[in-house]
Amino acid sequence: MIRNYLLLAWRSLSRHRFFALLNSAGLSIGLLFGLLIGAYIWSELQVNRQLRNADRQYILTSEWKNPNTGYPLTTVGPLARELKEKYPTLVSGYYRFDAVTTIVSKGDKYFREGIQIGDSTMLKLYGFELEAGDQNTALNEPNSLVITAAKAKVFFGSEPALGQTLTLQSFSGSTQDFRVTGVLKDPGENTITQLNADNFNQFFVSKSAINFFGRFDMESWNNLYIVSFVELQQGKTATDLQEPIKQLLKTHAAAAVIQDLQVKPQTLSGFYREKDNGFVNRMMNVLLVTGLFILLMAMVNFINLAISRSGSRMREIGVRKVLGGARAQLIVQFLAESVLLVLLSALLAVAAYPLVKPLFEQFAGKALPRLNDFPLQVYFGFPAGVVALGLLAGIYPAFVLSAMKAAQAVKGLQGKVRDRILLRKALVGVQFSLALLLLTATVVVTKQIRYFFGGSLGYNKEYVVAAQVPRDWSKAGVQHMEDLRNRLALHPEVESVSLSYEIPNGNNGGTAQIFPQSGDSTQAVSSQVMMTDPYFPETYQVGIQAGSYFKAGQKDSLQLAINATAAKALGWNNTAAAVGKRVRLAGDPRVFTVQGIVKDYHFGTMQQQIPPMVFLQVQLTNTYRFFSIRLKPGTISHSLASIDAEWKKLLPGAPFDYKFQDDTLKTLYDTEIRMERAAYMGTILAIVMVLLGLLGLITITLHRRMKEFGIRKVLGASFAGMLALVLREFLLVLVPASLLALPLSYWIMERWLEQYAYRTLIGWTPFVIALVVVSGVTFLLVFFRSLQVLKANPVQTLRTE
Amino acid sequence: MLLSLRNIYKWYTLQGNRNFLLKDVSLQVQEGEFISIMGPSGSGKSTLLNVIGMLDHFDEGEYQFLHESVHKLKDKQKTALYKQYIGFVFQAYHLIDELTVYENIETPLLYQDVKGSERKAMVADMLDRFNIVGKKDLFPTQLSGGQQQLVGIARALIARPRLILADEPTGNLNSKQGEEIMELFTALNKEGVTIIQVTHSEKNAAYGKRIIHLLDGRVEKEESN
Repeated sequence: MIRNYLLLAWRSLSRHRFFALLNSAGLSIGLLFGLLIGAYIWSELQVNRQLRNADRQYILTSEWKNPNTGYPLTTVGPLARELKEKYPTLVSGYYRFDAVTTIVSKGDKYFREGIQIGDSTMLKLYGFELEAGDQNTALNEPNSLVITAAKAKVFFGSEPALGQTLTLQSFSGSTQDFRVTGVLKDPGENTITQLNADNFNQFFVSKSAINFFGRFDMESWNNLYIVSFVELQQGKTATDLQEPIKQLLKTHAAAAVIQDLQVKPQTLSGFYREKDNGFVNRMMNVLLVTGLFILLMAMVNFINLAISRSGSRMREIGVRKVLGGARAQLIVQFLAESVLLVLLSALLAVAAYPLVKPLFEQFAGKALPRLNDFPLQVYFGFPAGVVALGLLAGIYPAFVLSAMKAAQAVKGLQGKVRDRILLRKALVGVQFSLALLLLTATVVVTKQIRYFFGGSLGYNKEYVVAAQVPRDWSKAGVQHMEDLRNRLALHPEVESVSLSYEIPNGNNGGTAQIFPQSGDSTQAVSSQVMMTDPYFPETYQVGIQAGSYFKAGQKDSLQLAINATAAKALGWNNTAAAVGKRVRLAGDPRVFTVQGIVKDYHFGTMQQQIPPMVFLQVQLTNTYRFFSIRLKPGTISHSLASIDAEWKKLLPGAPFDYKFQDDTLKTLYDTEIRMERAAYMGTILAIVMVLLGLLGLITITLHRRMKEFGIRKVLGASFAGMLALVLREFLLVLVPASLLALPLSYWIMERWLEQYAYRTLIGWTPFVIALVVVSGVTFLLVFFRSLQVLKANPVQTLRTE
Repeated sequence: MLLSLRNIYKWYTLQGNRNFLLKDVSLQVQEGEFISIMGPSGSGKSTLLNVIGMLDHFDEGEYQFLHESVHKLKDKQKTALYKQYIGFVFQAYHLIDELTVYENIETPLLYQDVKGSERKAMVADMLDRFNIVGKKDLFPTQLSGGQQQLVGIARALIARPRLILADEPTGNLNSKQGEEIMELFTALNKEGVTIIQVTHSEKNAAYGKRIIHLLDGRVEKEESN
């Protein structure tokens, strides 16, 4: 019997090839998308799971009452170690590191790399496996170095890396050889080696190297910049840590720190999902919602087509009943067909998964598991879900149609068809709404991203590249860099060059409390510090509102500049009057003079208000990181090649790792750009789904009204008149759908935009665009599908009855 | 006695008024009879046939089929009853388009849980008898109307019913094809199968041994050949 059902299902599907194809194509796309998103979410949830005792691993993050005191990702240096030593029943392990970026070289290969200077406990604590070397002792010796297998390949090729040496540069310009004592097997994505996007470290040296790099002692209670992890004993939770942390800080830390600091232990998995403003969580949510939308639309299409097809099979149901088919048998038959169709779609989706995976990976910026990497649950869960979906889609036609009286069914009763049409229209209405929602959201997101990159930046991002320079943070070092700058500026392809510590990428070195000399530090305005040379405004084309910026050759480093927001915050609404004012920085007895007011520009993301800024000269602190180069307009690749040659001459041993300001901004707005891509993908899929749904409905509508149109034609109706009749039917679905979707999407997008201090106006364009696209697609589809039926000879259409 | 209808009424209510489809119909059918039901459109011929076939319910009266009181049976029991004893033939053939000739004929046996080997033998027998062995793998749309009706009758006979109900079996056929079908019915009747047919044509009605004339849901007159 089952064989008979399946055979029949197969024949019935291949007889209605158009519908079957439409149906399974739509569902396949939906399932494929669902599979991809499921894989993405699963692999996000897998991050850090591979670590030993993963659920007991914590990171100590910090909340600072004054956010300018320290970083949220770091905490007081000795805290993690003290916790383990003083509270061994609570904490079973710790690891701390200080991250630096410097030049690593081997022969003529030199690269800028992120390095963790950390405790020797790392390898064992997290169960990181070594391809070569001894896990227990690899990080014990001073000047020992553990590198990842990937980096070993970069520096040593196929040669064994163990025992070889690499040369590392310190910030005072000196170099030292480190011996490779361990090669780390690819650890998989985790928070220890990859704290966040800026800290992807593949080089690990022991704590004793901290002196070589001239960093602050890790064991000092005044060092607030150490990334710290602890492993809790079985059964302990984060709340158990609160009291010991409080005790330790009270005993050792400075009063100001105790006042300011609130240590928040977070599980590594929780931290991973919530870091960077909850980026991972937000991305998962956006994808989950889009995926559910698409899957819902695909299911709607499927059910829709299943219903319309079963309507035309009413006669068959009647015949089967007359021949003695029991209701239960008919139900089983319908369900079998539906399940078979869904299974086919699922097979298609699974087969397409490896093909589409690379595309999706590119877009999501994350490697997805291969089909055979999925956990066992998926192997059982996915088919079960597919069968459930098939049953769900088949249940309506199965029960409603099998309940019909045989005598009525044989006649092909018309009465019931009416409400099914209504149901189908409602389903297509749901699709219209979802498509409109996604479309408007996409337009708004795109608009906001245009706004980020548009003229509102406050500087000119075009033709600017920035590259890090080797560090020698001393008076002589700065002098040397300034000489190099002058020489680089003479290069014919270069418009202007600036030496600075900060570039507009949202990462600044620190803050300063600035207050008028006449006032005191309680009225200080907390400002972001920019350490630059005199050429910064010229290179980034930042405007000067009043006074002037630093002058070339100016020896007085006690002149500073502030931005317009800072001037206002200090109470100088008339910016011109602010020039020449005397100010002080908290903790510094010297008196500075305000030489100029810089127009506001966006240093970080537009999520935040532009903060007050203080511009100091690089000579004041003798620290610097970047050369920013404005190129002359022209062939950029050629310019960069010749600058690269010049750079090699001026800075031998330092790579010219340049980055366009455009790309820097893209990194800054990574979340938004990925969101935009997700929105585009979702919208395109949604429109495809609407197309499929419409196609089915139009075909059914035309089929149902074929006789009516034949009669109308005989009575003299025009083509346009009949087309309008068909269109009207869809307009009646589109109008309520729009009334529902558009206000809803306005409300949602208002909420989304609220997170940005600087935002575009929604206006009416997104709604007009969405409506035009959806109604245009509908019109075209109706038009082309109707042509055949409406042009048909009425003698034909009337006879088929 | 194969079946007997006693004072059967069937109606629908429209705006409070009862409209009768069948009005006090009584009918007794002996095993081996060949009955034709005639009457103008809307006189209740098909309704009566559907009631006899247990496809449609009635509102009043008693219906005895063999030893069962049909008016007391549940739907499930009715299905079990008619699938065993009754075969249906339709004007529009009502073959299942997705099934081959062979499979169409086989379907009633599937619903009666006949074993595979037995099924094969029965269908082969039937194909042979109707001379359509060569057409067994064709689909209904590949056959002429007459051939389709032949398959329809073969399907109705496959489960060896005691009664054949035919609703205008020749309505869609030309006169020659119609004649052949009527000859077939006559032959079947001679073998002992009871036949009740609804027809418009005087000529076809004449094949029956008893002709019942319906008018407005009522038996107007009965004649015997």
